[in-house]
Amino acid sequence: MAISAAKIVSGWAVNVAIALTALRTNVMRSILTMLGVMIGVFAVTLAVAVGSGAQVSVMQTINSLGYNMAIVVPEAEGDGPRRSFTRGRLTIRDINAIEREIPGVRATAPQLRSSVTVAVAGNNSTTNALGITDGYGIVTDTKAAFGRFVDDNDVRTAARVIVLGKTVADELFIDANPIGSKVRVNGIPFTVIGQMEEKGGALGDDNDNIAFIPISTMRQRFSSEDLSGPDDVQIAFIGFEDGYSLAQGKDDLLELMDDRYNIRATQIRPFTVRTTEEFQEEFGFVTGIMQAVLVAIASISLLVGGIGIMNIMLVSVTERTREIGLRMALGARRSDIRNQFLVEAAVLCVLGGATGLLLAWGSSLLLAAYADFPVPIGIGTAAGAILFSAFLGLLFGGYPAIRASRLSPIEALRTE
Amino acid sequence: MPGNNASQPLVETRNLVKTYHLGGETIHAVHGVSLSIARGEYVAIMGASGSGKSTFMNMIGCLDIPSSGDVLIDGIPTAEMTSDALAQLRNQKIGFVFQQFNLLARTSSIDNVAVPLIYAGLDTETRRERATAKLIDMGLGERLHNTPAKLSGGQQQRVAIARALVTEPLLLLADEPTGALDSRTSEDIMTIFQQLNDAGITVIVVTHESEIADHAKRRIEFRDGIVVEDFLVTNRTLAITKPHEEMEPAD
Repeated sequence: MAISAAKIVSGWAVNVAIALTALRTNVMRSILTMLGVMIGVFAVTLAVAVGSGAQVSVMQTINSLGYNMAIVVPEAEGDGPRRSFTRGRLTIRDINAIEREIPGVRATAPQLRSSVTVAVAGNNSTTNALGITDGYGIVTDTKAAFGRFVDDNDVRTAARVIVLGKTVADELFIDANPIGSKVRVNGIPFTVIGQMEEKGGALGDDNDNIAFIPISTMRQRFSSEDLSGPDDVQIAFIGFEDGYSLAQGKDDLLELMDDRYNIRATQIRPFTVRTTEEFQEEFGFVTGIMQAVLVAIASISLLVGGIGIMNIMLVSVTERTREIGLRMALGARRSDIRNQFLVEAAVLCVLGGATGLLLAWGSSLLLAAYADFPVPIGIGTAAGAILFSAFLGLLFGGYPAIRASRLSPIEALRTE
Repeated sequence: MPGNNASQPLVETRNLVKTYHLGGETIHAVHGVSLSIARGEYVAIMGASGSGKSTFMNMIGCLDIPSSGDVLIDGIPTAEMTSDALAQLRNQKIGFVFQQFNLLARTSSIDNVAVPLIYAGLDTETRRERATAKLIDMGLGERLHNTPAKLSGGQQQRVAIARALVTEPLLLLADEPTGALDSRTSEDIMTIFQQLNDAGITVIVVTHESEIADHAKRRIEFRDGIVVEDFLVTNRTLAITKPHEEMEPAD
């Protein structure tokens, strides 16, 4: 006998109606049971969202510091205490060779760093100063929001000019326009030529607590580190063209540096090349593990919620044994009874899951608004949460439903 | 094709046996009963408690599985049927009326009556139409949306009868249908059964009250799992027939 699709749909619709009637019969019990699934779905959804949020935030931080670039430092690879013999050199001449000889390089940004105190009348701010060339703006895609950035001329003349990050500018000048103002950097007079656009921060870092001066000025006035030579730098960013392979760029960089410093293949290199791609992978891996751990912990509450569903469905089957017997007497097949209780469990779970999802969504909005931490709940996560709730209903409702369907009609009918 | 043959018995049992094992003791609830009931009969099954009459009834209603022997409904043997086939048979050919009515609580008369039609695979609209028609037949046109709690015992049993009849079965099985009703309401129910039988439905009533059994055309008496008497009732009590609407004032 052919059963039309309409019949099947109407069969399920009947089961949903029966389930809703049964749930209304025990409103309090239904709500308490749903609470378990609700909390579980809330916890898991939020855990997924917090994990994705952390991932997005870390990626944004990495990208805000520069994308598609390699970082060269004159230190040996690996962890542990740095020993003097592992310290190599990285000079402006190396950077020039890189720019000249390595394909795909867009710009280079050699840097010196120093902690400085920037002061105006009655106000001062301690910050990190970066000595840079005009290449820094290109490599890290950084622009001045007001005024201008450090240019080639500033570097050649070792001009006493400074560009302030937003945090520093706010601390020193509050709302006033700092451009053109005189400040003292470690007591030396400088002119403010620009203010950076806001970069924001992530995971406690403030990327706006910073100041930029020409690298030549830095070397003349503040250089404190024990650099090995007059044109040594502490770090260099090498920006590659969009879409250019960073792995290829890294290989080329290592080859060039090995060649310039006569490093043999067996030797430990006294410099390290890392790429933004590698950072992203590493942080992605770490945040991925963090997310997995969060979700695993949250899943325990979902499991407890599921067990609650099974418990209450077993109670429901026992209470309604006579109804089951009656339905069988009136022509319900075993599968009809099984489906009825499966749907009831699934409806409980989906209602609980939807409530949990709404709560998680509300919490994510609150977190984004007040904790300044993006917690995205995507359509995929939402649909996944609802589907998973239904699956949970079928999983934990399965045993009670099958038990109900195996009852003998007459014994079920005789139950008081 | 078996079935649908007016000349063969509607219900036939062949050496029907039901034994229970209780703590090492074997109890023969039904001990080899062979009988046949033709279409259009009105049978009262009587017997004391424990005589086997209810067990027999449950087996011919395909609710209970015989230990041995067979039940043929409309010529079709049921011993080898799957539980799904038995469910379909109950749905299509048998209507049940129970002592305790067995209506679903918090469910309207119309939805209670429509339950068997769900399992017959009918759509919502047809279910509501047929349920409404049967309830009107039972004089409950004003009570379509009442839940059992809002109905008297007699009205509840009439809803149950409407539910038993909504699939147009050949056979109506009633187990102590008046056991929970007062004598006046019992009489109303007997009137309905008589009218249904007059309209061609085969009625089998299990009862221990001889006043109820006196309405039937044939009486079968059980004792210790066997049939001890089986005879046609000569001076049958005829219920006073009147329109259902007048039977019980709406309250």
